[in-house]
Amino acid sequence: MKTDNKSYLFTITISLLTLIALPACNDQLEVAPQGELTEEAIRADPAAAQALVTGVYNGLYSDNVYGQNFIDVSSVASDDADKGSTPTDNPNAIPLDDLTMESNNFPVSAVWNAYYGVIARANQALSLIPLSPAAAEIRARYSGEVRFLRALMYFNLVRIYGGVPLIDTVPPLAEINNPAFQRRASRESIYDFIQRDLEFAMNSLPVKGVAEYISGRATKGAAMGMLAKVFLYRQNYDRAYSLTDSLIKLPNAAGTYGLLTQYDSIWRENGENSVESLFEVQAGISTECNTAVNLYSVYQGPRAGGQRGWRDLGFGLNTPSQSLVNEYEPNDQRSEATIIFINPSPAGTVLWDGFRIPSRDSVENDRYNYKAYHSRTQESNCNNNPDRLPKNIRILRFGEILLIHAEAALAIGRGDEALTDITRLRTRAGLTTPLASVTREDIWHERRVEMGMEHDRYFDLVRQEAVQPGRAVAAFAAEGKTWIKGKHEVFPIPSTQIQLSGNQLEQNPNYR
Amino acid sequence: MRENRLWFQRPYELLRVSMMALLTTLWLVISTVDSLAQGTPVTGRVLDEQKAPVAGATVNIRGTSTGTSTGADGNFTINVSDTSVLVVSSVGFEQQEVPVQGQTQFEVILVRSTQSLEQVVVVGYGTQRKRDVTGSVASVRGEELARQPVQTPTQALQGRVAGVQVIGSGQPNAQPQVRIRGTGSALAGVNPLYVVDGVLTDDIRNINNADIVSVDVLKDASASIYGVRAANGVIIITTRKGKAGKTIVRYDGNAGLRQATRLVEMANSQQYRSYIQDIAPTFNSDRPPLTYEGSTDWYDALLRNAFFTSHNVSLSGGSERSTFFLSGGYIEDNGIIRNNDFKRITVRANNDITVSKAIKLGTQLSYSNGNEQAVDLGGGFQPAYRAAPVVPSKVGDKYGNVSAFGNANNPVLYNDKRDQNILSNRFQATAYIDIAPVDWITFHSALNIDALFSNDRTYSYRFLNDTTTYLTAGGNQQRNTSELNLTDTRNHRWVWDNTITFDKSFGDHDLTFLVGSVTERYRQNATTGRRVDVPEDPNLWYLSQGDPSTGSVPGSTGDIQKRQSFLGRINYSFNRKYLVNASFRADGSSRFSEKWGYFPTVGAGWVLTEERFMKDQGVFDNLKLRANWGIVGNDNIASNLYIPTASINLLYFFNGSIVRGATIQDIKQTDLKWESSEQFDIGLEFSILDKKLTGELDFYNKETRDALANQVIPGIFGDPNNQFVTNIASFRNRGVELVLNWRNTTAGGLNYNVGGNVSYNQNKVTGLNGGQAVLSGNVGQQTYTTRTDNNQPVGAFHLFDAIGVFQSAEDVNAYRSKNGVLLQPGAQPGDLKYANMNDDDAINEDDRTYFGSYQPKVTYGFNFGFNYSGFDLTADFYGNAGNKIYNGKKAVRQELSDNIEADYSENRWTLTNPSNTDPRVINNSTPASTYFLESGDFLRLNNLTLGYTFLTARQKKLFSNLRIYITSQNLFTLTSYSGFTPELLSSDPLNSGIELNSYPTTRTFAFGVNLSF
Repeated sequence: MKTDNKSYLFTITISLLTLIALPACNDQLEVAPQGELTEEAIRADPAAAQALVTGVYNGLYSDNVYGQNFIDVSSVASDDADKGSTPTDNPNAIPLDDLTMESNNFPVSAVWNAYYGVIARANQALSLIPLSPAAAEIRARYSGEVRFLRALMYFNLVRIYGGVPLIDTVPPLAEINNPAFQRRASRESIYDFIQRDLEFAMNSLPVKGVAEYISGRATKGAAMGMLAKVFLYRQNYDRAYSLTDSLIKLPNAAGTYGLLTQYDSIWRENGENSVESLFEVQAGISTECNTAVNLYSVYQGPRAGGQRGWRDLGFGLNTPSQSLVNEYEPNDQRSEATIIFINPSPAGTVLWDGFRIPSRDSVENDRYNYKAYHSRTQESNCNNNPDRLPKNIRILRFGEILLIHAEAALAIGRGDEALTDITRLRTRAGLTTPLASVTREDIWHERRVEMGMEHDRYFDLVRQEAVQPGRAVAAFAAEGKTWIKGKHEVFPIPSTQIQLSGNQLEQNPNYR
Repeated sequence: MRENRLWFQRPYELLRVSMMALLTTLWLVISTVDSLAQGTPVTGRVLDEQKAPVAGATVNIRGTSTGTSTGADGNFTINVSDTSVLVVSSVGFEQQEVPVQGQTQFEVILVRSTQSLEQVVVVGYGTQRKRDVTGSVASVRGEELARQPVQTPTQALQGRVAGVQVIGSGQPNAQPQVRIRGTGSALAGVNPLYVVDGVLTDDIRNINNADIVSVDVLKDASASIYGVRAANGVIIITTRKGKAGKTIVRYDGNAGLRQATRLVEMANSQQYRSYIQDIAPTFNSDRPPLTYEGSTDWYDALLRNAFFTSHNVSLSGGSERSTFFLSGGYIEDNGIIRNNDFKRITVRANNDITVSKAIKLGTQLSYSNGNEQAVDLGGGFQPAYRAAPVVPSKVGDKYGNVSAFGNANNPVLYNDKRDQNILSNRFQATAYIDIAPVDWITFHSALNIDALFSNDRTYSYRFLNDTTTYLTAGGNQQRNTSELNLTDTRNHRWVWDNTITFDKSFGDHDLTFLVGSVTERYRQNATTGRRVDVPEDPNLWYLSQGDPSTGSVPGSTGDIQKRQSFLGRINYSFNRKYLVNASFRADGSSRFSEKWGYFPTVGAGWVLTEERFMKDQGVFDNLKLRANWGIVGNDNIASNLYIPTASINLLYFFNGSIVRGATIQDIKQTDLKWESSEQFDIGLEFSILDKKLTGELDFYNKETRDALANQVIPGIFGDPNNQFVTNIASFRNRGVELVLNWRNTTAGGLNYNVGGNVSYNQNKVTGLNGGQAVLSGNVGQQTYTTRTDNNQPVGAFHLFDAIGVFQSAEDVNAYRSKNGVLLQPGAQPGDLKYANMNDDDAINEDDRTYFGSYQPKVTYGFNFGFNYSGFDLTADFYGNAGNKIYNGKKAVRQELSDNIEADYSENRWTLTNPSNTDPRVINNSTPASTYFLESGDFLRLNNLTLGYTFLTARQKKLFSNLRIYITSQNLFTLTSYSGFTPELLSSDPLNSGIELNSYPTTRTFAFGVNLSF
C-alpha cells in the first residue's frame, strides 16, 4: 500500500475534525427526567412551599382517609350503623360490623397507609417551607396549616390504633429499619404531639373570614376546636372548656361561629363553609372530576340491589342502625335529617331535592345516611361521576363545639352553661320542651343524636367508656354486638405492617 | 469519572483511538486498488442428500474472498486455479471442502445438519464457525420455526433450545415470555435482548417467521459483547438474503382453526343453587334469579373457534453484484374470545450490493402493520368465572343482569359495549457499509433504526342498568356517558455500530480481532386523550366530538435514553485445536447515576479430536471441551427510577376555586445502579457413530448481584405504593443442560432424526443485602402469596399449610397447641384446618411456610422427524416440571354469590359429604394456603406435522418444491393443573405463577402449502 505524506496529513486532519465535532460522551449520557418535575427543581421554586401545602390538603381526597375504608372503620364498626347493602357485598366490612376483625382486615390496613401518606406529604412540606423566600409570617402560616392537617391525621390514628409510630420528619431511606421509626410511641406521647401541632397552628393561623385568607383553609378557630376535642379525649376539661368557651363567646378573637338555623342544611351544598363550619374537606368541579373525596357519597347512597329496577344512587353501605333510630326522641328533626327512611308503602320516599326512591321491595335496605347524600339534580355534579360527587366533608362544626363545651362545663361544675349549650342544640332540632338541668348522660345522648352518622361515634363511645366503664359494652349490646373490654378500645395493627417492621411494631392486646 | 482508570476504561480515549483507526482505514480503502482473481473457469452443481438442487449455496475458494453462489438449479461457475480448494456451504448443511485438482465438473452433495461444526453461528458483531465457539450458543434454523402455525418466532422457539423456557399465551399478539437459564432478576426485565439484523429490541412481534434464516441464542457470558443489556441472554435473529442466480419465488401459506384446549367447568344452575342455599340462606331461593330454569355456561357464551391463516410470498435472487430478498406476509390470528381479532401485514426488503471487491453495502428494511381488536380480560373474561349460571348471558338483544344479583359484570355485555382497536406501524431498518481495504481487514458501519407508531383507540358505549339494556333492571354495571380514550405512542430508536475486524491466519495461528463503538438513542412519546359523550357512530370517534367541559384528560409522557458503548473482542485459535477468546464492553447508560459499566469475558476451548493421541480412537468424530466466564449487565428498568420527582397537579379547592398542589412522596434511592450477573459455563460437545449422534452437555452458574427489586416499606414512610426500587438482592441460577440428537438414513431411504434437550435449573436468592424479604403476589384479600427471601427461589409461595377440613365441632375443639390452647377458635365444621408450623399457641402469619415457586426445576423438549419418499412427519414435545401454580381465581371471592367450579361444588364439605380436602365455603377471609396451590408440571405435544413433497413435480421442473402439510399446534397437554393453562404470563418475577385471568391456551389445526419455483 502506497501513501504519501499528503495523504497522512489529510487523514489526520479529518480525524481531528471529527473528534472535535463529537460531544464529550459523559455529558451526552445525562438525561433529565422527561415530563417529571425533579425534587431539585421543586426545591428551587419560590412557589413550591405553597404548592406543597396544597398537596397536603389534596391528600384528604383519598378514599381511605375519609372515604370507603375509613367509613367502614369509623362508622360500620360502631353502634350507629350496619354494614348495609346486600348481605355479601363489601365483605371486608363484615368483620368490622361484627367486631370480629383481625389484623389482616383490609380497611384497617388501608386506613393506616393512607393516613401515613398524608403525614408524609405534611412532613415533606414542613421540611421545605423554611427554604421558601416568603415572609416569615407567611411561612409560619404555611407550617400552621400543615401541622393542623398532620394533627388531624394523628388524631384519627391514635383513636383507631392507640399509640402509633411517631413520624415527624422525612425519614431517610437508610433508616428504614430504625426502631425509632418502627416502634409505636405511646398513646400519650402521640396526644402530646398532636397538642403541640395544634397549639402551633392555633398561634400561627389567621381567624376565619379575614379578607386575605380564603375559606377552606385551616384556621385558628379550627385548630382551637380540634385542640378542645383532644383535651376532651384526654379528660382535661379545663382546657377543653376554655378553648370552646372562647370560640363561643369571643367571636373577634377566634372567628365568628354559630349554629346554622336549619340543621339539615348543614350537609347541603348551600350549607358549605357556613357559620357553623370550623373545618371541611373542600370539594369542587374539575375537568378530571377528581377533586372530591373518593367513594364517599356513592358508597353510602341508596341501593336497588336489582330487586325491581331503578337507577341506583350508590352502593348502599354504612346504613343507620336500629339502635340509632331508637335514640331519637319523638319530634327530633335530626332523625329525618340524618336518616333516609325507606317507606314500606308504595309511596316511596321523596328526598329534599324531589328525588323519589321507590318503596322497600325495590330497595336493598331500610335506611341510608342522609348526611352523605349529594343531590344529582339540585347540587353541582362533575359529569355524573358518581365516585367523586363534589361533597364537602364536615370535619368539625360548631354543634360539636357546643357539645364539647357542655361536657367540659359540666365536669368543672358549670352545669348551667351545659344546659344553655344543650338547649341551643335541642331548640334548633325542634325540641321545645325546656330541660331543667342536664346530666352527663343527657349530654352523651345529645351528642349521639346531634352527630349521628358523622364518623365519630365509635371513638366517642371508647372515650365514654374510659370516663364511665360499662358504657361501650351496653351500647354495643343494644345493637346486638359484643364489644370486648381490653380489646375493642382500638383496632388491630395491620399484620402486613408488623411483618414489614420486622416485628418491631407491637400488636394491640388480644388481636391476632 | 474517576481518575485512576486505565486508558481503555476512559471511553473518550477509546473513542478517539477507534475513530483514528476507522478513518485511517477509510483512507486506506481510497488508496487501495482492487486486484481481481484470475484462473480457469469450472462448473458444478450442489445437491442435497435427496439429490434435490440446493439453491443459494455459497461456493468460496479457501483462503480468498473469491466466491459465488448457486442458482435455483444448484449450478455454479467459478474461476479457480489447480491448487484451489472449493468451500461449499449453505445454511442448514454441513460445509464441504472439495480440492479442484484439475477437475472442471463437480457434483457436491451437502449433508443436512442441525448442529454442524462448520455451521456459522452469529455471535454478535460477527460470526464464527460453531467449532470455534467457546460459549454456549444454540442455533435454530428458520425453517424449523416457520413450519409452526404461530405468530411470533419466540413462540416457535418453545422446546427447541436447552435452558430456554418460553411461556406462551393463547392471546393474539401476546408477547411470549422467555427465560434463559432461570430468572435472573426481580424487577429489571427478565426477557432476553433481541437483535434483529443488528437492531437491538425487546419486541420481535413484527418479524415474519418465514423471513428468518436463523435464530442464535447466546445463553452464557458470550452474550457480554452486548454488555449492560445481556444479562438475560441474547437472541439474535438473522433474516434471509438473496443469492446470486435465478430468481426464486416462494409461497408458504396455511389456514386453520384455533380452539381452547382446556376450560374450567363451572357449576351449573342446580349445583349453584344448592351451594348458595348452604352458604347464604338469606338469598331468596324462590325469587329470581335463583328460580331460573336454564343454566348459563359463560365460557360457551364468550368463546368460539377462531380462524387462523398466514400467507407469505417471497422473491429472492440477484447477480454477482447485487442480491435481493423481498417478502410480503399476512397473518390473521383471531382470538378464541369473541371480538378479539388480530391481523398483521409484513413487508421486507433485504438488498446487498457489491460495489467493488472492497466495498459492499446493503439495507434490510422491514415494515409491519398490526391491527388488533383487543379485549380487556379483567372485565371481558374474568367475570365468566364469577358470574352466576342462573342468569342468562343474552336473550334477543337484552342481556342477563348479573350485577343486579351478584357483583360480577356480564362479560358478554362488557365486551359488546367496548371497542378497543390498536393499530401499530413498525419500521425496522438497517443500512450498512462494509469496506475491506485488504482481505483481512473489514470496516463495518451500520445504522439501525427501529420506529414504532401505535394508536390505541378505546370507545366505551353508554348503557344504563334499565330494561333497555337488560332483561331485568338494576345493578351497578352501567355507563352513564360514553367515553373515548386515545393513546398515541411513538417510539424511535437508532443505533449506530462501527466496527473494524481483523481476521488473519499465520500458519497454524488464526486470529480475529474486533474493535468498535456503538451509539444509541431512544426516544418515546405518548399522547393520551379522553372525552366523554362521544357519539356512537365510529366515524365520530374523535376527541373533538366529545363534551369539552368535563371529564377530559389530555396528557403526554415521554422518555429519552442514551447509551454509548465501546467494545473489543479477540479470538485466537491454534491449529484449530486450542481456542481462546476474550471480549470487553464498556457501556455508558443514561439510566443510572453511575453512568459507566464494564463487562469482560474470557473463554477457552480444546478440540480433543484434533490431538494426535485422539487420532486413532474410533469413537469420537468430534470432542470439544469449552469454558467461558464473564460479567454481563441488566439495565432493563424504567428511566428516572433514581431521581426523586414531584407529583404535580394535585388539586384542591379554596373558596370554590381550584389551586394546584404538589408533593414529593415517592421514595427513591438516588444511587441506584445496574444489575450485574457473573456467569460461568463449562461445556462438552461431541459427535460419535459417524456423526449420527451429536450432543452437548453444559454446566452453568449465574450469580446476579445488585439485583433491583421493589422493596416494600412500612406504611409509615408514606410512599404512595409503599415500595421503592433498590439494588437489594443477589440470586443464583445454577444448572445443567443436555442436548442429544440422533440422525440417520437407513438403507431403504428412510431419513429420521430423534432429538431432545433437557435442562435442570436451580434458582435461589442468595442474599438480600440486609433488606427485608419481599412480599408479593397479592390475590384479592389474601394480602400476599409469595415471599422472596434468602435461600428460596425468587417468588416462592409462602402459605399456610391446609392439612384437612374440620369435620365437627369436636374436631375444632380438639385442635389445640401443646399448651392446650385452642388453635382455630372461630372455625366451623367444614372449614380448612391449618398446620401450626411453629408449634406455638396460635395459627397466625408466623405459620406460613415455603412451598416451592413458579419456576420449573426441569424444562425439556424432544422431537422426532421422519422423511420417506416425499412424506415427512415431525413431532415436537415440550414440557416442564417442578413448578407450582397458585390458583388465584379460585381464591379470590369478591362475593359469596360468585360462581364456583363444578368439581368444587361436588366435592366440598357438607354434612352429607364429609370431605377432608375441600372446605365448606371459600370466602374472602379464607387465607392464602396450600389448598390453592397446584403442581404446574406439564407435557405437551407442541407440534405435530405431516407433510408430503411432490417429488415428481420437481423432477418435471414444474416447481422446485411443492409440499402440502397438515399440522396441529398444541394437540394435547398432559397436566394435573385444574385451571385454564399451566403457562402463565407475568411481567413481575415476584408475582408470577398466579392464575387470575389467563387467556386459555389454544389448540390449532391447520393445512398448509409450501411452494417454490
